[in-house]
Amino acid sequence: MNTPIVQLSSIRKQFGGKPVLNGLDWQVMPGQVVGLLGRNGAGKSTLLECLLGLREADAGTVTLYGEDVNALSDATRARIGYVPQKCDLFEWMTPRQMLGYFKALYPRWNEAKVEGLLARWGFDRFKLDTSIGKLSGGEQQRLAIIRALGPDPELLVLDEPVASLDPVGRREFLRELIDGVVERSTTVVFSTHILSDLERVALDVAFLKDGRITLQGQLDELLEGAHRVVGAGARAEPLSLEDLFIEVTQ
Amino acid sequence: MTTHSAQLFSISTGSPEPIYRQLVEQVRRLVAAGQMAPGDGMPSVREVAQTLTLNPMTVSKAYGLLEMEGLLTRKRGMGMSVAERPAAGHSAAARAELLRPTLERAALEARQLELDPDTVLSLFTHILKEQA
Repeated sequence: MNTPIVQLSSIRKQFGGKPVLNGLDWQVMPGQVVGLLGRNGAGKSTLLECLLGLREADAGTVTLYGEDVNALSDATRARIGYVPQKCDLFEWMTPRQMLGYFKALYPRWNEAKVEGLLARWGFDRFKLDTSIGKLSGGEQQRLAIIRALGPDPELLVLDEPVASLDPVGRREFLRELIDGVVERSTTVVFSTHILSDLERVALDVAFLKDGRITLQGQLDELLEGAHRVVGAGARAEPLSLEDLFIEVTQ
Repeated sequence: MTTHSAQLFSISTGSPEPIYRQLVEQVRRLVAAGQMAPGDGMPSVREVAQTLTLNPMTVSKAYGLLEMEGLLTRKRGMGMSVAERPAAGHSAAARAELLRPTLERAALEARQLELDPDTVLSLFTHILKEQA
């Protein structure tokens, strides 16, 4: 039970001579819900892509469920769901076609959940038959989330999953995430700038800075331990997550 | 005896106070004020998590702490309920103490705004009467 699901060791990745990941080590344990935080351009998307084997690291190793990420078995692959930051694939397909295609790829597909989400998230008959490229950014993101949740993944990796959702959409999405955590102890890794969402669902946070995970811990403990000394050391003022983000990432 | 709904709670994000602690404080206040009576049933962890859109572990952590404090008891197969306790625990002084963290925050802001105590106290008095 205490073997990490995700293990990254000494990961290096550079783009055009500029190092983005710089000997990064990171582990995610089963059942963890981890928020990945970092400034714009810190390399969060690169990290998540390397974690999933979608991008090859220059050096270092990534294992998922104990398997090398570059040689994942189909069974392991089927346990993982991913929502990319921007999904511009399958634009020519309709949502119905795209979901049908993915359903055929996975050994397990929760049709009832997919149908329920489509209905609740505004995909009526008309939208289901419109090409994905013509849907709004928010609709495309909802669709990417539905696609990722379809196979009931045990590990869900989300890169800014709510960036183009309105507050109602975000709340609905969080609810789905929580249901997954309650019902199947899904392990979740997600990057976001919306700290209020993170506070609701993430028990752990990890800060990416200078190409490494510089701070990781339980959110509650970090908040309770974080104080800024003000007025020549006279008082220690408690910090919110937003304050902490600014202090840690600057 | 009633079973309370999860609507009882409200939490705020962006606060230096972790969410589990906000839940703990709310239960303490409601019990101290008698709005939650001994024997009353608490909403389930799952219900609170889903109503407030929170990670269920956060709610469990709050309930666990309240159980350790003796404020809640776990009944086999029935979930959590408010513990039976002597009324002595509900003295005005004990209840006032629960207000301390909120007032300390207000005091900090008052100092930052460079307000003198009389101004702050008269404002607070005014607010208290307004709400009543």
